[in-house]
Amino acid sequence: MIAAKNTSWLAGIPAGWKFGTLLAVSISLYLISSWQVLLALLILSAATLASARVDFKQLRMPLLTLVVILGVVLILLGVQTGWLNAAISVLRLLAMCLFAYSVSLTTSFDAMLELFQNVASPLRVLGANPAQIALALSMAIRFIPELKRVYLEVREAQHARGLGNNPLAVSVPLVIRSLKIADETAEALDARGYDSAPAPRNQR
Amino acid sequence: MSTTTAPSQTRNTVYVAVFAAMIAAMGLVPPITLGVIPVPITLQTLGVMLAGAMLGPWRGALASLIVVVLSVAGLPLLAGGRGGLGVLLGPTGGYLVGWFFGSLVIGALFKYWVIRLQSKPLQLVAGLVSTILGGIVVIYLFGVPWTAVVTGLDLKTSLVGSFAFLPGDLLKAVVATLVALTVHRSYRGLLK
Repeated sequence: MIAAKNTSWLAGIPAGWKFGTLLAVSISLYLISSWQVLLALLILSAATLASARVDFKQLRMPLLTLVVILGVVLILLGVQTGWLNAAISVLRLLAMCLFAYSVSLTTSFDAMLELFQNVASPLRVLGANPAQIALALSMAIRFIPELKRVYLEVREAQHARGLGNNPLAVSVPLVIRSLKIADETAEALDARGYDSAPAPRNQR
Repeated sequence: MSTTTAPSQTRNTVYVAVFAAMIAAMGLVPPITLGVIPVPITLQTLGVMLAGAMLGPWRGALASLIVVVLSVAGLPLLAGGRGGLGVLLGPTGGYLVGWFFGSLVIGALFKYWVIRLQSKPLQLVAGLVSTILGGIVVIYLFGVPWTAVVTGLDLKTSLVGSFAFLPGDLLKAVVATLVALTVHRSYRGLLK
């Protein structure tokens, strides 16, 4: 769920503000137990999402999953503790998720990642290295298509041997090839003198 | 990770990134339907178990954490193409939080216990205990109460509900143990 060129009013607000507001709204949603207020908030959340002018194709699967889970919750809670209680829980969750979608779909991935890095920056005191974190995140993104390709290749190869559905026959080569890719990449980085060690004296 | 013979920091970072990508890839590829059991399972939590078992506690836990961070930031990496802030706030968010600690526990047990055992059958039993403890008990320990708090269901119902995933997760624990032990035999020194 990424904001793909979103131009709504929400896209202009800094990610930090949206995230902070979402956090505050989520907490207050748990403090509210009147179904009328929650229903009003749900309508507000739906209106927010609608005003964000998002691509609803992106939302179809997540919403479907959410509705299924909430349906189960509604029935279980309804039978156990009464239907009013169940309705309150479901309204609250639905409102919260719609607000969360509104934030996610109007914030670019870069902005979100930058926000996380800012939030995590106090970890520097504990010895975490921001350069290393940034390298790990960007490299992970870069490797996802490659690992997906490897996974599909391995599965196809094992399928040809009649082992396509054998999780062991697929996982062992996948893990070994992942390790090989990691070794090769690390060697390539070392050979090019890439140094992400934290000590400043390494810079010449 | 600060021993003198340990691999360089860059190498550690690359391992973490590649395994994070592997966990993500396992969620992106359409699930495998197991021959006997007609339940489609995605291999994503298998990836979480493998990251810990292959890389040890810290690198494994960080690999899982990266997948969660990237998904929450908006990439549709979780099984079924889910992502965004909603996945963490929603009813199943606790399981995602549990991934980090699950990999951490599996990694620690593999590094300091399983790998050091001498006999193969013992390793197998210890590995299975580790993956079940970290990959199921620890992850459910976060997931079950989270679902209860978020939905208002009581703990017992939430726990019973999680049992639907238990057969698949047990199977993944078995697979993760077998894979990890097989690969460690040919790839020595990963957990030094």
